[in-house]
Amino acid sequence: MMAADDRLGPEMPDIESRVLAFIRRELLGPDASVTRDDDLLSGGLLDSIAVLRLAAFIEEEFGFPVPPGDFVIENFRSVTVLARYIRRATAGRPAADSDR
Amino acid sequence: MLLHQMVDAAALRHPEAPAARCDGATLSYEQLARRANGLARILGETGLQRRDRVGVLLKKGLDVPVAFYGVLAAGGTLVPIDPRSPVEQVIRILRATGATHLVSEPEKRDVVRTALSACPEVCHVVGLAPDDTAPVPSVPWTTVAEEERDRPPAVAVIELDPSYILHTSGTTGIPKLILHTHHSAMSFVDWAVSEYALTRDDRLTNHSSHHTCFATFDYYAAARAAATTVILTPAALMLPASLSALLEQERVTVWYSVPTALVQLSLRGELESRDLGSIRWVLFAGETFPGKHLRRIVQQLPGARFSHVYGSTEVNVCTYYHLPEPGALTGPLPIGRACSTASTLVVDGAMQPVAAGDAGELLVRGSTVMSGYWGEPERNRQVLVRRPFAGGLDEVYFRTGDRVRALEDGTLAFVARDDRQVKVRGHRVELEEVETALLSLAPVEEAAVFTVPDGEGSCAIRAAVVVGSGEGSSQRDILASLRRVLPLQAVPTEVAFLPSLPRTPTGKVDGRALRAQLGEREGHDGS
Repeated sequence: MMAADDRLGPEMPDIESRVLAFIRRELLGPDASVTRDDDLLSGGLLDSIAVLRLAAFIEEEFGFPVPPGDFVIENFRSVTVLARYIRRATAGRPAADSDR
Repeated sequence: MLLHQMVDAAALRHPEAPAARCDGATLSYEQLARRANGLARILGETGLQRRDRVGVLLKKGLDVPVAFYGVLAAGGTLVPIDPRSPVEQVIRILRATGATHLVSEPEKRDVVRTALSACPEVCHVVGLAPDDTAPVPSVPWTTVAEEERDRPPAVAVIELDPSYILHTSGTTGIPKLILHTHHSAMSFVDWAVSEYALTRDDRLTNHSSHHTCFATFDYYAAARAAATTVILTPAALMLPASLSALLEQERVTVWYSVPTALVQLSLRGELESRDLGSIRWVLFAGETFPGKHLRRIVQQLPGARFSHVYGSTEVNVCTYYHLPEPGALTGPLPIGRACSTASTLVVDGAMQPVAAGDAGELLVRGSTVMSGYWGEPERNRQVLVRRPFAGGLDEVYFRTGDRVRALEDGTLAFVARDDRQVKVRGHRVELEEVETALLSLAPVEEAAVFTVPDGEGSCAIRAAVVVGSGEGSSQRDILASLRRVLPLQAVPTEVAFLPSLPRTPTGKVDGRALRAQLGEREGHDGS
């Protein structure tokens, strides 16, 4: 599988921007102040349904299924962390470091 | 016994036993008692009088039990506020309860500052950092830590004094404020400790937010047994695979939540790769548990017994039903029989008992029933009704607003709610209030909301609106506006734009026709 970034032309936004745009547009509202490194989980920004919608967006936008075992804090903590997970998943490498 | 005395008792007998754990950190009973008594002393020194209200605005964590027991030990009435509340909600609750003190934390400084400027009755704050300029005198948590004491201050408190005021997720207007006493809370606590045989070896999941009635079990029943309450943070609760790993690591023994949380755990918790054999009781309450999901989680946790507990915040828990063996799970779950603390009655519209097996409204009398709604004498007259007993004496029943009927074996089955108060993923939502919020938006002329099954045992809110001619508005605009004024769970998942709302001959919105028009199935419990 091609790495997600390879599909993007130079004018396309990076993974972080696309995830951030979805969170602002669909989950929090346009006025919400959220940055790439904000803690999405502890700060009360998202709830469990928002996390499911975010995962559904990732599956559709980046074209890979998010298995239940990848629904872990280590993958969803922030936009930066999520983008790292998406890059790993789309590069075909092991998706999460959570399989204990 | 008073709620805070349980902690002093546990600290005497088992000082090293963990009272609470959160994110890997532990608070022992001795530490909890000393800090809570220190906080109580500070509250007393800053003028708190017996029965004064104290708001607690804290995220989930080890400061929560310190704040709870500290306020109670000072003789105050605890007002836990949902940490996710918009500032308007915080203001409404502080004002309505007439709180004189607020316990919070630096993370909440902006909300606290805004709230204080709108609530002149609040004259002291505990928990902001020294450099968080507050408009009223403020004591930081570091000072609380230095004030640790063995004993609570000497304040005369009796069991019939208020212990806490819980709030519903009232959206527009004032939420319902539900007042309990030390006695009504302890009655439930003692029943629960006995029924589930809680001991100091137990570790309870502290799943729900501490402003809900689940906290009565999670905190106070744990303390009564000198057990540990394992405070689960929002991060873990959002990600079921992380949550199940934490449950295994903490070797929890008793789980208590709304069914939705168990459905998520069952579907996405990777339970087959976890060892959760330590769990011996799973309690759930608040919504219908869809049979297919329930049967699956019963199989996934073969070492656990399951218990369906029923009761609103107004009554703590009033009936319960222990599930039989998995093979015997058929049909809808009963709400069971009355706890030893409660007596139930099923009545018709004229408040007369119905014939055996007929449906009617459930009335509850018992020691776990609330004192009443704070600041709502009219509502209290409606829901706390006197019925003649004998000897010229009356007894007081709480009208639950739930329709039930007795089954052949005497257990009760839930039929429906009488009004339009629904549960969305365990949170109470008044549909009227969502409509009011929609109607407050400039372009919206008419609005109606209804619920549909969400496929996982809870319900989702759908809205239909009529916007004024020439008004440009999108679903996105409306949802964004609603998110500013409503809690997350009360925001509809979809908004349909209609030229008009279908109405009955009397002019009420015709819910049935509206559903049909939008192609939705009826019903909201998904069972």
